[in-house]
Amino acid sequence: MVMSFFRKGSHGLDHIQSRAATMLGDARHSFDLANTALLTGDTHESIADDIRATDHRINQAEQDLRSELVVHVSVQGTSDIGTVLGFMLLLKKVERIGDQAKNILDLAESGVSLANSPIIDKLRAQQAEVSFLFGEAGQLLTDADETRSQRFVQRVSELITEYQAQIDAYMFSDLPGREVVPLAIYYRYLKRIVANLRGVIGVTLNPLPQIDYLEDGTVDTDD
Amino acid sequence: MTGSVIAEDLHKRRSLELPAPARSGVVLGLIYLFLVGVSSLETGIKIMGADTQEQLFSAVSNPIAGLCIGILGTVLVQSSSASTSVIVGLVASGALGVDQAVPMVMGANIGTTVTNTLVSLGHVRQSNEFKRAFAAATVHDFFNVMAVVVLLPIELAFGLISGIAERVSELLVGSAGSEWKSPIKAWVKGPVGWLEDFWGAIGLDGNWQGTAMVLTGLVVILAALTLITKNMRKLVADRVERSVNAILGKGGGAVALLLGLVITIAVQSSSITTSILIPLSAAGVLSLRNAYPVTLGANVGTTITALLAALAASRPEALTVGLAHTTFNLAGILLLYVLPFARDVPVRLAEGLAEIAVERRAWAVAYVVGAFIIVPLIGVTLLR
Repeated sequence: MVMSFFRKGSHGLDHIQSRAATMLGDARHSFDLANTALLTGDTHESIADDIRATDHRINQAEQDLRSELVVHVSVQGTSDIGTVLGFMLLLKKVERIGDQAKNILDLAESGVSLANSPIIDKLRAQQAEVSFLFGEAGQLLTDADETRSQRFVQRVSELITEYQAQIDAYMFSDLPGREVVPLAIYYRYLKRIVANLRGVIGVTLNPLPQIDYLEDGTVDTDD
Repeated sequence: MTGSVIAEDLHKRRSLELPAPARSGVVLGLIYLFLVGVSSLETGIKIMGADTQEQLFSAVSNPIAGLCIGILGTVLVQSSSASTSVIVGLVASGALGVDQAVPMVMGANIGTTVTNTLVSLGHVRQSNEFKRAFAAATVHDFFNVMAVVVLLPIELAFGLISGIAERVSELLVGSAGSEWKSPIKAWVKGPVGWLEDFWGAIGLDGNWQGTAMVLTGLVVILAALTLITKNMRKLVADRVERSVNAILGKGGGAVALLLGLVITIAVQSSSITTSILIPLSAAGVLSLRNAYPVTLGANVGTTITALLAALAASRPEALTVGLAHTTFNLAGILLLYVLPFARDVPVRLAEGLAEIAVERRAWAVAYVVGAFIIVPLIGVTLLR
């Protein structure tokens, strides 16, 4: 351990950036598993255990990285303070995604299964699309590509609008509650997850005071 | 501006900085300048007559007065590296004996803790933060005071610390009283000679020339050390960051102690190492028990500067004082940290003082002023 001083290594913030991308990978793992449980009705104990262990790993990483950010400021001074505070927000967003994946598992464990839903194919396609967004967000965290990041934010914003429309449709649907309520709740979770993914990339694009807000400061885009 | 955009930003910022090899060259140059400063100080004292030397250093014939001068001198320059280097220079000149220098070096150890205690006062507005920060700062104070309380009487009675240092010094460079032909001394002889000629050429001689040489030496030592610390901090910042993260991940103990030692040797300042710990402790990132061994490593690491200064000296006694500083800090760790019953005492005292300080903030300020200025001043005034 003392040799850690003598070893060559990355700059502190580069390390945190790469750990944040790993956290996103973990969150994606939880999301995929939780969706498997809900969309197939398979709530096997091993799936639940895996999701909880992954969530614990994400939470632990968030705590570790928060400490590392404090160390960074203590050692390197305050020249990176904007980036450090941005990372604090980013880590919280990834941690919330982990929680929301767990919420999908909770839905499956409460006895809800969407395996026989008439729109199961659409749900599976949407799951795959969101899962792909996780990978893309992880890549954008480590690449310096502002144009792709802006395109990503735009695409996710369209998804959020689409999911909200679904939720609104279920709210006023004439179908029985046991059919539409789980779907409305599921879309609500999907919307929260993609909103947080948009927030993660938004942190890399926007000045600190404007993160999660539109330019006029009136609308909370993280809502 | 995190993630992708930050990568570009960091790259731009780093490309504006001095490249590491060039900065390493600057540090080597500054070390040379530092050694010139120490040698200039030694030469200046030698130029002064024996009577002047006697008048200047009679105050430290009382070891407690010497201890207090060590504290005050270090508080004044905020660096035990600087004050112990000056002490080494004085011993090298023959004006100060090893017996007088050892209590001063112990005082320097106490005085250097004022910096992180002052840093901890910056957290005074947040009770919980302040309590943690103040405890992390004063654990260093308590350890160093306890080390002096235990080891100074032993030193005065048996000459234990100076005895061990003298043995090692004899093995390395020869016995006291002999002339040590240090190769470093030969390297710095030229610039010191030019300084001497310069002050002579503008009409100074005797005590005036000696005083000018001493003042030049002091300014060069302080400036060189400040710049060495600043440049080394930039050079090794990423390594320090990784090391502190390693301490956070694996806890305290011997590893934290060794990392405190390595970091301090690298940045040439225990104050830098211990001051980094304060915001970490205040934020609750680093516990007091994990911060404590880092400060002990810093105590040992900072002694490298006096050893370096001794390389520019012509008398083995200078190296003896440098080694006494190292021996004192190692003995302190053996007695007060390795022995389990003593280990918790400085921690509990620091926690107790922090409890009081958080209730009555003015007491924290009174503690700093009293312990680091008023008590040493009284000591010097009464015992000189």
